[in-house]
Amino acid sequence: MPSVEQPTTGTALMRGDIVLESREIVREYPGTRALKGVNFRVYRNKVNVLIGENGAGKSTLMRILAGAETATSGELILEGKPVVFKDTRAASRHGVAMVHQELSILPNLPISDNIFAGCELSRMGVVSDREQAVRSKDALHKLGCEADPGVLAGTLPLGQQQLVEIARSLAHSFRILILDEPTSALSSAECERLFAIIHELKRQGVSIIYISHRLQELLDLGDYFTVLRDGQIAGEGQRCNVDREWIIDRMTGRSTQLDGSSPEAEDAGNDLLRTDALTVKTFGGRLVLDHVSLSARPGHILGIYGLLGSGRTELLETLAGARSADGGEILFRGQKCKFMRVADAMQLGIALVPEDRKRDALIPDRSIRENISLAVVRRFGRYFISRRKESVRVQQLAGELCIKATDLERPVSSLSGGNQQKVVLARSLLCEPSLLLLDEPTRGVDVSAKAEIYQSLRLLASRGLCIVFTSSEIEEIQQLAHRVMVLSRGAVVDSFHVNAASDTRLFSAASGMIPLGSEN
Amino acid sequence: MNEVMSPLSPPSPLRAGAAWRSTAALLLKLRSLLALAILVLFFSSMTSSFLTANNLSILAKHVAITALLAVGTSFVILAGGIDLSLGSVAGLSGMIAGYLLVDGMRFAGAPHFLPAWLVILLSLACGGIVGWVNGILVTRFSIPPFIATLGTLYVGRGAALLISNGRTFPDLAGDAARHNTGFPLLGQAYLAGIPLPVWLMAMLAFLAWLLASKTPFGRHVYAVGGNERAALLCGIAVSRVKIWTYIISGFCAALVGLIIAGQLEAAHPATGQSFELNAIAAVVLGGTSLIGGRGSIGGSLVGAFVIGVLADGLVMLGVSEFWQMVIKGVVIILAVGIDQLQNRFQLRLQESR
Repeated sequence: MPSVEQPTTGTALMRGDIVLESREIVREYPGTRALKGVNFRVYRNKVNVLIGENGAGKSTLMRILAGAETATSGELILEGKPVVFKDTRAASRHGVAMVHQELSILPNLPISDNIFAGCELSRMGVVSDREQAVRSKDALHKLGCEADPGVLAGTLPLGQQQLVEIARSLAHSFRILILDEPTSALSSAECERLFAIIHELKRQGVSIIYISHRLQELLDLGDYFTVLRDGQIAGEGQRCNVDREWIIDRMTGRSTQLDGSSPEAEDAGNDLLRTDALTVKTFGGRLVLDHVSLSARPGHILGIYGLLGSGRTELLETLAGARSADGGEILFRGQKCKFMRVADAMQLGIALVPEDRKRDALIPDRSIRENISLAVVRRFGRYFISRRKESVRVQQLAGELCIKATDLERPVSSLSGGNQQKVVLARSLLCEPSLLLLDEPTRGVDVSAKAEIYQSLRLLASRGLCIVFTSSEIEEIQQLAHRVMVLSRGAVVDSFHVNAASDTRLFSAASGMIPLGSEN
Repeated sequence: MNEVMSPLSPPSPLRAGAAWRSTAALLLKLRSLLALAILVLFFSSMTSSFLTANNLSILAKHVAITALLAVGTSFVILAGGIDLSLGSVAGLSGMIAGYLLVDGMRFAGAPHFLPAWLVILLSLACGGIVGWVNGILVTRFSIPPFIATLGTLYVGRGAALLISNGRTFPDLAGDAARHNTGFPLLGQAYLAGIPLPVWLMAMLAFLAWLLASKTPFGRHVYAVGGNERAALLCGIAVSRVKIWTYIISGFCAALVGLIIAGQLEAAHPATGQSFELNAIAAVVLGGTSLIGGRGSIGGSLVGAFVIGVLADGLVMLGVSEFWQMVIKGVVIILAVGIDQLQNRFQLRLQESR
């Protein structure tokens, strides 16, 4: 086992501060051992950060702590006493709750019903809506969210849906709260609010287990760090003993340099893509894109920084033909284009990697091979698909993008998040695009897969591909883009060379009303 | 994950666990085939006449009906839809054929009779058109498939009754004087000792298998059923794919209607009632998910055999018709129950990473 560091310096954490502990937890599946004897400690009133690459066993461990799964062997100690969580209800009775990465909101029910789903407040078998509403409002208020508890949860923006999930745990006064990648769907402003909430929860005596891939926020937020690698603890320590390199080294088992930037692109002549006052409205007539003008050249990487709801997804979808514009024009290779369907844009060499791979890109039951070749399967045979041609091409691409799979015939859902993202990327590349659009290219992707994806994209750009991507991660923008554009409420608010893209400039431009220097 | 490796590195030797897993997966995959084998063994041991050539020929004819419907509607179900209008389309196509053969088309008061082959083609086309209407309702007008095809179920049945005012068209043998003989051959002819409907089933099942597993269209069907939004963003013409699945389904249903009319030499407007349920049952027995995106043509074919063998075998055992229905229902529920078990099993495997 790699070096396990016991906390020694600083305000030393005592054994008595441990609220929940797992002892020698082993979880076996047919053919694999996901957890190989994990001793995980959760300290009281602390933010206990759990880090690890996708597939390291984080989710399995958390599901065991939350009662969604049982361990093959080993025990859980809560407040010094062994406990057995038969199911999630048993865990929540003991005050342990989990906010899942994939939100489990019931979209057709009002917020209050969501908060009390499964444990409705009732008198004599009749749900008391009023009391639920009052307590929901109270819980939401604590989170700084003033939404009406009667509103259908599905109509809320993603960030607020997450707040509803957290409110659920507040309303039931849980003692231990597991947050599995809570910020992956949040805008920066919403993240800030979440962090404030976490501090507040800590004050109220809640112990938090926090999982995320975003190193900066972990370092800002965490009190105690545990790194999981390959089903084992690869290191643990208090904040004062932990820095970025410490985490990455233990996570990957090697030193990975994530910092970097894309090499300057040569001027490759004319604009490949231009938009002129592109305007898009919703069915209801709300303005989603407001006179957006941009341009991108071959070999260039244009990064669009925008928060959730800034119109970034709508912009890419419009460029990819998945949405029609209500005004302005798109010029591709100097030609005015009007896309009726995605196929029209694809024909011209425009490919889109959507933001939510599970919802918008993957066919979960089909094989990795079929998922990669899906968009251009006609190329391998107009009437009958040549499996040989297809396999050769897919394998080649999978190799280039380092898709780590035992077998390309296995269902794509068997892959980790990072590899799934590479599958989607491979599918777009198979279209041999001249313009590649990526919406949040590394959402829910671990650090090393992230680095590999950056590498691939830089290489593609150096070969003359024009890349336009959106991101809500400042780091990603700074590392990948040549030029940066900031989108806020559907409009371009700022545009500059990446060298000028400081954290504060990006963040303040994007959030508009958030005062400067509010973060360190 | 420790067993993950780059596709370029040499494959690791199969471990014992992996071998066990693949055997279990294979058995689960072939479970409907196993069930079929068990049924055949059971019935042939219970009645000596089950495995006779004569009985098998009758059995094959029955199976062909269900199999044609199941294979056709598999596409609809794989693409995430459902087609409830199958039975009505079968009834309607038979009635159209009957009308054309017996009453003839009326121009200027005088009936004109078409040759049998043209009658068959026109009736099949009608099935395709009903399917096309289903597809348009589902795609262009966003009516849920269940509702849209429930509607065409009623309209189709009503139309079948309207054609003859509810009467049966007797004697579809045609008349040499009208140059329209030969229609009943579709249901009664034998080729190399095997009934023509069985040949048709084999041919269409083969074509359907090719279409589903070897062509871009097949891939698109699975993609639309597996994740419609993803298919759309891939540039797949989702609506067109869906419309085609309904056309295929309607076409096969019409063919079944014609075969039955040929076998009986008569067209009855109530033909095909509740056939859609048999077809859906066969598809589901074959392991196809009603949510779409998962399943196979071969599975549907086996499912149709299971239903056919079960029904005929029970008749031969002298089991009452009422009990037959109960048993059929139990078998369907059992099959889907096993399907869910398999899903959970697979999910387990996936969660292990």
